[in-house]
Amino acid sequence: MNVDKAGLIKMKGKTERTGISSQTKASITGLLMVIPSFALLVFTVIIPISLAVKESFLDTDRAFSLKNYTYLFTDKAMQSNLMFTLNLTLISTALTLLIGYLLAIYLRFNEGRITDWIRKLYYIPMFVPGVIATYGIINMYGNHGWLMRIGNALGFESFPRFIYDYNGLLLANLWFNIPFTTMLLSSALAGIPNSVIESARDVGAGKISIFAKFIVPMTYKTLLVAATFSFMGMIGAFTAPFLIGPNAPQVLGVAMQQSFSIYHEVGIASAMAVFMFLLCSGMGYFYIRSMIKEEPAAR
Amino acid sequence: MDVKEEEVLLSIRSLQKTYKTGDGVRDINLDIRKGELITLLGPSGCGKTTVLRTIGGFLNPDAGEVKIENQSILHLPPEKRPTAMVFQSYNLWPHMTVYDNLAFGLKLRKTGKQQIREKVEQVLKLVRLPGTEKKYPSQLSGGQQQRVAVARALLLEPKVLLLDEPFSALDAKLRMEMREELREIQAAGNLTMVFVTHDQEEALSISDRIVVMNSGRIEQVASPQDIYDQPSSLFVAQFIGRMNFLNGQASKDGIQVQSLRFGNDKGLAGEVTVAVRPEDMVMQDPSAAGMSGTVRQVMVLGHYAEVSVETPAGMTKVFLPREEARALLTGAEVHLGISRATAYSKTS
Ligand SMILES: Nc1ncnc2c1ncn2[C@@H]1O[C@H](COP(=O)(O)OP(=O)(O)O)[C@@H](O)[C@H]1O
Ligand SMILES: [Mg+2]
Repeated sequence: MNVDKAGLIKMKGKTERTGISSQTKASITGLLMVIPSFALLVFTVIIPISLAVKESFLDTDRAFSLKNYTYLFTDKAMQSNLMFTLNLTLISTALTLLIGYLLAIYLRFNEGRITDWIRKLYYIPMFVPGVIATYGIINMYGNHGWLMRIGNALGFESFPRFIYDYNGLLLANLWFNIPFTTMLLSSALAGIPNSVIESARDVGAGKISIFAKFIVPMTYKTLLVAATFSFMGMIGAFTAPFLIGPNAPQVLGVAMQQSFSIYHEVGIASAMAVFMFLLCSGMGYFYIRSMIKEEPAAR
Repeated sequence: MDVKEEEVLLSIRSLQKTYKTGDGVRDINLDIRKGELITLLGPSGCGKTTVLRTIGGFLNPDAGEVKIENQSILHLPPEKRPTAMVFQSYNLWPHMTVYDNLAFGLKLRKTGKQQIREKVEQVLKLVRLPGTEKKYPSQLSGGQQQRVAVARALLLEPKVLLLDEPFSALDAKLRMEMREELREIQAAGNLTMVFVTHDQEEALSISDRIVVMNSGRIEQVASPQDIYDQPSSLFVAQFIGRMNFLNGQASKDGIQVQSLRFGNDKGLAGEVTVAVRPEDMVMQDPSAAGMSGTVRQVMVLGHYAEVSVETPAGMTKVFLPREEARALLTGAEVHLGISRATAYSKTS
């Protein structure tokens, strides 16, 4: 170990001493290798976002104004769209995390045939394209879907509404996000050695304190990652809301598409996009901050 | 075994645990005295951990009984058992400081804050790590981590301390230090410990008694001295220390190895394997009764030499003082005697 380090330092010294020309060469090569990805970033992220930001501050006469934002936050329909989206996203994120966490914990601490089957099957939804899954939901939960037909045959009369309703969107969000969340959390739980749990039991910890004092602290970072990914995916959801969402209120993604391509209100659509971007960057900020924060337990 | 009933702290009767794969342990009977350090010794996979985890409550046996102070503990979960376990590795909780690792169990027992602080300080002194309270496990070396793990187990004042190869991940020198320290702590506190290891040297050096296990069964339970001098089975003879195995012939009159003869107290018959420690082989005058052989190799190992001698009964190692070995040359004809031997039937 020590020898390795010493060797490494020596080597570094050597490359430094071989002269400025090779160093310059190296930095030019480095620059050349960075340019493509930087260009990609500029043309696909920075320029579009800047344009959208600029667009969102222009009124119909292309003059600077805050009209789009005023509209976004004061118009009744828009307000309810915003609330609807936030509500749906937060509830979906919370439920996804809850169900994913419970499922992952169940899979981590149980054995048997049923558990094996769940372990093999739970991530299948990740491999089903969104459109197909959405049509599946329509077929299953629609007004003449399988659920209703089976229910009717069994004598049930009334059903909760799924299609063109909040419930359906919630269901779709869960379907799309639980598998990935469970997968993330499972790998975090797999990282907890058995002897950690067993030694906790050995000193007298019951199930609840093992969960609160060991499992949660050792997985909360991954929980945060899962929350961030779920939130970001759901707040910009489009396919399912477009196909099975209610006409009013609408999810932001659908509302944006309508302002843009049906009403040609580019400014308002841009304002919505900027707002969503800010929400996501807020999430991203917290995510990155907590990832960077020096974990004392980590090496 | 030969343990008086009133001295027994931990007693295991007819314990059996079979995994789905068919592996496991059977017919485990063991009585452990208070204040005794007993070692479960055997090759990897022989079932040592299985026995230990059954005592600790992490495994449910298929049959048998485990009692502490004459009370069955089998119905108790690990958190309620009067045992504490030190695992091979990953003992400490990485997200807690050394202090929290040590204090956690005491907090669960509603010990007062001041008292916890005192106890933690004391136990850290005992394991020679004073002042490390604020460190995280990742900031400690492997040996220090295992010390803290031992400290944590000791803090709970268990009736029986269970240790599953606690030092096997450490380097040889540190391992030696750690087992000396453990033995000191054990003796000073008159603690009862069950120590698992696959290292016979470790077992011989720290145990009051050794339980030698082989493929799920107990082969022999005895003091290190007796295990070494009187291995009860061929397996134990092979597993513990260095041993020569010679072909012999048993009859009513005794056991014959070439021209040498010993008593046949086990009453064996026919072909037998005679086990002789290299230090029990002696060089003799050609005039005395003995076994002739040819020196094949002389290796000087510090203060003694290991001499390989080819005899009609098999290849034999002989330990000699260095001075005596100096005169021996490869190819020399020698005459060997045996000062002590144990015979085993070939069929079992
Ligand atoms: N959970 C398990 N499932 C199936 N077989 C196991 C399990 N644990 C241990 N075994 C098997 O039981 C035997 C004894 O294991 P163990 O008690 O761990 O041995 P040791 O500690 O002496 O190395 C081994 O053959 C091992 O492969
Ligand atoms: Mg083991």
